[in-house]
Amino acid sequence: MHRVLAIFENTFKEALRQRILALLGVFALLLIVVSVFLEPFALGEASKLMRDFGLAVTSLFGVLTTIIIGSALIHRDIEKRTIYTVLSKPVRRGEIVLGKYLGLGVLVALLVLAMLLIHQLIIVVQEGTFELSLLLVFPFALLEVSVILGILLLFSSFSSSTMTSIMGVIFYVAGHAMPDLKLFAESTRVEALKHIAYAFYYLLPNLSNFNFRTDLAYNIPLAADQVIFSVCYGILYTLFLLYVTTLVFEHREFK
Amino acid sequence: MCIFKAMQAVIDLKEIKRSFKNHFWQRKKTVLEGISFEIREGEVFGFLGPNGAGKTTTIKIITGLISPDSGSVRIFGMSPHSLRAKQRIGFLPESPYFYEHLTGYEFLKIHAVLSNLKMHKERTCTLLERVGLKEAMHVQLRSYSRGMLQRIGIAQAMIGSPDLLILDEPLTGLDPIGRKEIKDLILEEKNRGTTIFFSSHILPDAEAVCDRIGIVIDGRIKEIGEMSTLLSKGLSADRITLEDWFVDQVKATTEKNGTIQ
Repeated sequence: MHRVLAIFENTFKEALRQRILALLGVFALLLIVVSVFLEPFALGEASKLMRDFGLAVTSLFGVLTTIIIGSALIHRDIEKRTIYTVLSKPVRRGEIVLGKYLGLGVLVALLVLAMLLIHQLIIVVQEGTFELSLLLVFPFALLEVSVILGILLLFSSFSSSTMTSIMGVIFYVAGHAMPDLKLFAESTRVEALKHIAYAFYYLLPNLSNFNFRTDLAYNIPLAADQVIFSVCYGILYTLFLLYVTTLVFEHREFK
Repeated sequence: MCIFKAMQAVIDLKEIKRSFKNHFWQRKKTVLEGISFEIREGEVFGFLGPNGAGKTTTIKIITGLISPDSGSVRIFGMSPHSLRAKQRIGFLPESPYFYEHLTGYEFLKIHAVLSNLKMHKERTCTLLERVGLKEAMHVQLRSYSRGMLQRIGIAQAMIGSPDLLILDEPLTGLDPIGRKEIKDLILEEKNRGTTIFFSSHILPDAEAVCDRIGIVIDGRIKEIGEMSTLLSKGLSADRITLEDWFVDQVKATTEKNGTIQ
């Protein structure tokens, strides 16, 4: 475990010290602040809009940070040969995968939490009250980031960082379009298309399972069974991705 | 002459063959065509050859970064992929790039932990002092000079007090002072009894530190033996590079065979 922690520490520090991270942070902060000025467009729902918009920006910030930094996570180490010194030590490749996953995962978790707290601060300044129920978006944002990070690690273990970023974006967009895909599968009369659509629906990560932002912004109670399903789905899907990444990485040659 | 004979083979390569293809539509290019040699405990072995001869591929096979197409590799009698074998190895890759946002101390400490060292803080500080980087220990690696990076690279290879040090072109790109510092470190390790395997394409460097050398050309071992024996065969310090010697060898061969190159 101490070797996983060493890789975790290394990944965390390397990612934290990258300038792009500060840029992304400033950009996200600006967007949250902008949500305060959306009142004229809110048609009397300014308060709800500010909540929804702030949560969406926070979530998107987490995903963007994960894709931009995570896409180069393993590939850059291979390209720059920094991984050689690590692989020559008595460390299992699975430990490298897990350490990298935890390093960036924890960093993004802290950043998303910081953004949510800033969002809370803006709500307090605007309305004079905390809306702590909005913090419930945090575990679901993490689960979403966790699945995307798993996908990025998998692709970065065998392809370029550009390809990994592209796949990250594709999986993010497709992941949120899963309910539409299911609707298509249910409504199409072409049998072959129906099977293909269902295959994609069950195979690809369904990121809409983690989207409770609107419910939380509009104070709609969350259904317990849906929450339990989402948590189990996120954890199991991440574990599956980490397992496949480890298998690929263990057989990877460094020519 | 053969004082190493009775000692254990630290590295044992038998008939190693390896070929690559850069793209799936290209034909495979053979890089190693049946390399065999043994490195014995406590010796400094120079693995010499021109660029593209197969030195780095051989080192990658020894360190388990790639596997051979055929042949056998044993490190301390174990597979190069075994964690027990890796526990006894320190490796410096060719022209390494390290995690540039980490400080020298952080970088070494992580490698100390990966090497399963319990007293990693003490070992890290001692080693930083030994490679002359104590003053720069809290500076990020992106600010290090080439020579400093090479020294921190050797330090990470030495962090676990390995029985075998594998150094891939440790002197390339260094100025004379940097080369002297690295050679001194190699000699210090040699005096401590560490087995050292290092690759280079510069003969005088090998001459300064090696007990034995092996010369690889086009994926085959051309010569292998003790320095004194090979020097008497025609290698000499005034022929600065292996390339000069190799050109001589080719000329000699063509003259002998009466063939035109």
